[in-house]
Amino acid sequence: MHPPDLGRALCIITGASRGFGRTIAQELSHVVKPGSAFVLVARSGDDLRTLQAELTDSEAGRAGLRVQYVEADLGLPEGLERVTTAAKEVATDLIDHVLLVNNAGSLGDISGFTKSFTDMAEVNSYLSLNVSSFLCLTAQILQAFPQRPGLRRSVVNISSLCALKPFSSWVLYCSGKAARDMIFRVLAEEEPDLRVLNYAPGPLDTDMQLEARSKSGDMLLRKSCNEMFSKGQLLSCEESCGKLMKLLMENTYTSGAHIDFYDI
Amino acid sequence: MCDFSSKTLGRCLCIITGASKGFGRSLAQQVPYILQAGSVVLLVARSGLLLEELKTDLENLTVHLGLVVNCVSADLGTAEGVAKTLEAVRQDAVNDYDHMLLINNAASLGAISQFCSFTDPAQVNAYISFNVSSALALTAGVLQALPQRPGRKRTVVNVSSVFAHKPLPRWVLYCTAKAARDMMFKVLAEEETDLKVLSYSPGPMDTEMQEEIFRQMGVRHELMPCQKSGAKLLNLVLDGDFPSGAHIDFFDL
Repeated sequence: MHPPDLGRALCIITGASRGFGRTIAQELSHVVKPGSAFVLVARSGDDLRTLQAELTDSEAGRAGLRVQYVEADLGLPEGLERVTTAAKEVATDLIDHVLLVNNAGSLGDISGFTKSFTDMAEVNSYLSLNVSSFLCLTAQILQAFPQRPGLRRSVVNISSLCALKPFSSWVLYCSGKAARDMIFRVLAEEEPDLRVLNYAPGPLDTDMQLEARSKSGDMLLRKSCNEMFSKGQLLSCEESCGKLMKLLMENTYTSGAHIDFYDI
Repeated sequence: MCDFSSKTLGRCLCIITGASKGFGRSLAQQVPYILQAGSVVLLVARSGLLLEELKTDLENLTVHLGLVVNCVSADLGTAEGVAKTLEAVRQDAVNDYDHMLLINNAASLGAISQFCSFTDPAQVNAYISFNVSSALALTAGVLQALPQRPGRKRTVVNVSSVFAHKPLPRWVLYCTAKAARDMMFKVLAEEETDLKVLSYSPGPMDTEMQEEIFRQMGVRHELMPCQKSGAKLLNLVLDGDFPSGAHIDFFDL
């Protein structure tokens, strides 16, 4: 019988201002015990403040959930440090679970094809946000909250089918997702006590999906994204997040595995 | 060692990165045997000195075969280095070729260290810039310089590794870069149907990279001479008998 909650958790959620990240923050608030603390990270301070207020006023907030936010661009080095510092500040000795959800990500320029990416600065900027910051934030958090008895540590990568399968006109996104999955597979091999999950949420009805169906350079891909939208085949963030919560609470997944919404 | 059964790529522009040492150098020594007169071999590495030495070593062979060898000393980890290389490619691209062959071989091991040590984005960014971004930017620039044209074949090789698919503790940088590259080249293969794209995993060879691996890991594998793996790669390229985007390991064949 799995525990009905994720404990007194310190949850760090990146890309929390909208889309899937926002939903993750909201859903997590229902399954953590009083005494938990959230660190919400995104570039938009306004959206983060709105979410912070919403969570603070919620049932969980009134029961004692503390919510901090960090307005930061994770593509820039200073951004990461501030997140780790905030996490350390908000943590207490009562915390029995550290949960990092690496959700922040971007599509990159999907209007062109691989042969258009001659600009190193553009490619580096993309990989800095989607790959380097992912690795470094995870390393910083694990260093800040080392293994100790009574502390559960879980790290989640919001992955994608694109980590496994190439899609025409999506070279940056596919490469970034493939890199992230591998980063976590190495981590899982190195740290058997750590819970490491690559979760592919399925096609979500978010701003990112809107971008995909309006800008993809590959016309067949754009068409199929539009069809998913018009046929109501996109998933709500809540539906996909529900499955993620279940995975985390049951806690039986193989560490390092890539699990897709449609697998469970 | 150089038995290609008189198969050739015809008049070819052949670009090899990381050509000053190891596998790249070995490929530079073997590829002349599969090129016809009028071909150009463009060698790229940071060390201009080592490249010039290599060019001199090859002189007798290449002059005899009617080949031109050009060298570009460039740090592919930087935008300037990639730009300088593409400038050289564009200059060489003006000629008529039957075939363009780009071998993305330049790479580094990176720090072999426990995961939690990778807290510095500057370090990770620098590694990714050289091992991932440069392969993308260079390949993109080369494909633009030599676009699809009837009668001209184009082959792009990604020197890969078994660790593109297999995680190894303490090797997060290397595994990640190889995984990213394999996917990058799979996407390219989806997009450009005239192009032959190959991710080739050469196996453990007698190179400085393997020396470094031994120093860090204390484990020595049985190493093969570079030429042995190089010959397999060049035969694959000559035959072209693989699905574009495939990952092929030396030990698969």
